Amino acid sequence: MDKPRVAIFDFACCEGCQLQIVNLEEELLDVLSLVQPVEWREAISDQSDTYDIAIVEGSITRPGDEEKLRQIRSRAKVLVALGACATMGGVNKLKNNFTMEDVRREVYGKDGSMPHLDTAPTKALDEVVKVDLKIHGCPINNKEFAYILRCLALGKTPAIPNYPVCVECKMRGNVCRYEYNEICLGPVTRAGCDAKCPSAGFWCFGCRGYVDDPNVQAAREVMEHYGKTMEDLKGRLLLFNSKQEATENVK
Amino acid sequence: MSIKKIGPAALERWVDGLIGRQTVIGVQAKGDKFAFAPLAKTSALRLDYDVAVTAPKAFLQPPCETLLRFNPKGYESVVDEQPFVLFGVHPYDAAAILQMDVVFAEGQADIHYLKRRAQATLVVSDVQQPSANVFAGCMNTAVLEQGGDVMLTRIGDAYLVESRSDKGAALVKSLAGEPDAAPADLQLRKKTWDDNRKRLRRHELKVKPGDLPALLARSYDHPVWEEKSKRCFSCGSCNLVCPTCYCFNVRDDVRWDLQSGERVRTWDGCMLAEFALVAGGHNFRKKKPERYRHRYLRKGQYLFEQHRQIACVGCGRCIGACVTKIANPVEIYNRLAEGPR
Amino acid sequence: MSQILTAEKDIYLPEPADVVRAEPMTKMEMFFEFKLSSGRPLGHMPGQFAEVAIPGIGEAPISISSSPTYRSGFQMVVRNVGNVSAAMHRLAPGKKVGIRGPFGTQFPVDGAMKGQDLLFVCGGIGLVPVRSAIDYVLHHRKDYGRVTILFGTKSPAERLFVEEAKQWAAQPDTTFLETVDRGDEHWKGSVGVITTLMPKVKVDPARTVAVICGPPIMYKFVILELDKMGIGKDRIFVSLERHMKCGVGKCGHCQINGLYVCQDGPVFRYTDVAEVREAI
Repeated sequence: MDKPRVAIFDFACCEGCQLQIVNLEEELLDVLSLVQPVEWREAISDQSDTYDIAIVEGSITRPGDEEKLRQIRSRAKVLVALGACATMGGVNKLKNNFTMEDVRREVYGKDGSMPHLDTAPTKALDEVVKVDLKIHGCPINNKEFAYILRCLALGKTPAIPNYPVCVECKMRGNVCRYEYNEICLGPVTRAGCDAKCPSAGFWCFGCRGYVDDPNVQAAREVMEHYGKTMEDLKGRLLLFNSKQEATENVK
Repeated sequence: MSIKKIGPAALERWVDGLIGRQTVIGVQAKGDKFAFAPLAKTSALRLDYDVAVTAPKAFLQPPCETLLRFNPKGYESVVDEQPFVLFGVHPYDAAAILQMDVVFAEGQADIHYLKRRAQATLVVSDVQQPSANVFAGCMNTAVLEQGGDVMLTRIGDAYLVESRSDKGAALVKSLAGEPDAAPADLQLRKKTWDDNRKRLRRHELKVKPGDLPALLARSYDHPVWEEKSKRCFSCGSCNLVCPTCYCFNVRDDVRWDLQSGERVRTWDGCMLAEFALVAGGHNFRKKKPERYRHRYLRKGQYLFEQHRQIACVGCGRCIGACVTKIANPVEIYNRLAEGPR
Repeated sequence: MSQILTAEKDIYLPEPADVVRAEPMTKMEMFFEFKLSSGRPLGHMPGQFAEVAIPGIGEAPISISSSPTYRSGFQMVVRNVGNVSAAMHRLAPGKKVGIRGPFGTQFPVDGAMKGQDLLFVCGGIGLVPVRSAIDYVLHHRKDYGRVTILFGTKSPAERLFVEEAKQWAAQPDTTFLETVDRGDEHWKGSVGVITTLMPKVKVDPARTVAVICGPPIMYKFVILELDKMGIGKDRIFVSLERHMKCGVGKCGHCQINGLYVCQDGPVFRYTDVAEVREAI
């Protein structure tokens, strides 16, 4: 059987998720045993308009991007959103808390009104096209990427956790960040990262987005219990989860 | 065998000797908390700990363990048969392990747990510092009068060392030359036990543990389930820190050849949203109150009906681990005891 | 003193089995016949299930559809709803799977059902495990009284064992009635949910044992109808679905309150679960 042809594209992002794929290092050879990359700016010089799987990193921030993404979608049998920018808008969506005029002025100063600096509110890929699979995180967990790739090659739906980071945190024997009086987003954030940040002594930043049914309503009592405010919490949530429904419900 | 009394120097010689011969998993400092981990030297051992962040069950039913390996030829069992010592287990955690021994042996016996367990020597250590949330005194697990392989009790600067099994006897063999505990020492040990039964009650249970199964059985429709679970994150923390939670998930991890790999078992928890989900999409415990109630009923009623033990040993970990502070079993039980409202 | 029991047998180790037949039945369901590679019979009774393992994909509980009186292997019908079932749909004769089991309780074909009139009420793939009991009963036809089989599906295309059902209906003293929730242009039979068939059935409630298997929503409505027919709660047997992940009463996934479906079920006498709140 021919190996599926894979193209990797990027929109507004730091390209760090693609770098995580490159960082698989010797396992990259194993990746190549399953798929044939035909376009991947960060790693190969080839380009192609014929591919089975499109892996797309980054979010949509300019009107022109939408057209390009639709074209990718039309060519791909499977479209995979790679990383927080692609799956939910991620850090790029911070921008949506401001008017585009303010954003331009803040970044470019008096040149902000120049026509080539057009910018639009950030969209995740699935706000523009149908996304078949989301690989979460900022950056992605490359072990999970490898697992997902093997699943797809086996014809298996990968098990992407729909439980909070707390599960992995407890499995790793971490002390809860709340015991250190820190606001951690672990209880509402989708696991799958192996609780990397809490295990390294940081709170969870929420980079994998919310679990399907995040109980943000419980947040008020939690904040009160730990002597924090809802504003404190919202400040944390905005980094990766700006303009998400659950974030908007934190009042 | 007699109960020995050993000073700090003898303790160090003894444990260092053990470390030289086999893996010793001992309780140690982890930041400002405590955790069980492979012990490199006796001086790192902290028998004065309050509670270990993760229950020592993690060394008997690890968070993630390989059950089987497979390749194109078929499946084969993977069992862990490395001997090790679990050193410094508190009585309530030891009581939990004794429950797990029943759970994994009854009916269809689970060799993955049992073989690992058979290799473990359990050194139980009486509590010196009660933790913030312990209520083992209410659950009759503050003291382990029987069970375990070796029982340690601190008396002043010394430890009383009681061997309780053949494995225990083998472990304390090198202490043969140490003095036997005097009747007065045993009196002190009894006093420590009596004190611990009173001290390990940071939350006061107003019902007898023996009354819990009936209390829970008549509380199925109590409003507390709905009320408390409104604040539940379905994060499973209460499950995962619990020394008597043993539910698990199983998944296949395949290698790059897509033909060989492992079937692994991981910790799971009935509070997680998809615990009772079946293929096809029906979730038999879809709502938070249903899951929340199930956890308490399973601990205090269902498992009791199964093997006459309450699956709560009063370690208090769930109370601390629950970010939203809805997981205090004592609070729930006392509330249920007040009646239907 | 605690005594730690050890065992040698690994309850999680699947036994190899060969795919003998793999044939599509409907758009969603595929029919399989397996044979343990050792040649030994599976040793199941009607109503039991087995865990089917596909290396790399995982394991899933699947009910056994053939009667133990069928000796050349055992049969299953699998709806394509998850990873394991999807992988099973890619199987062909000659391939291997792993099998654990049989697990669970059985339809009481040698107990409460013996000598009685039988009423089988099946919805959708609920017919799959019940077929094991039907075949067993028809094989020992003289040991039972009248047999009535009611079968409901969502649409005509989803009907299972269509040819076999004709043979069942041709047996003496055996009735097979079916209905679909929604018909199509070719469907001339009954339209409506399964309970619409029940008033058409005349039974002697004192000597009838009813067996129910279908989607979760179906049970309470069927039980209401059985009650109207005068069939006692202790004469009703239900086969319940949960996620029987380990099959050996350990993993906790299949619990209905304090009951383990993998061990205490999947077949329950209704009186044993009528008061069990999560059951039906």
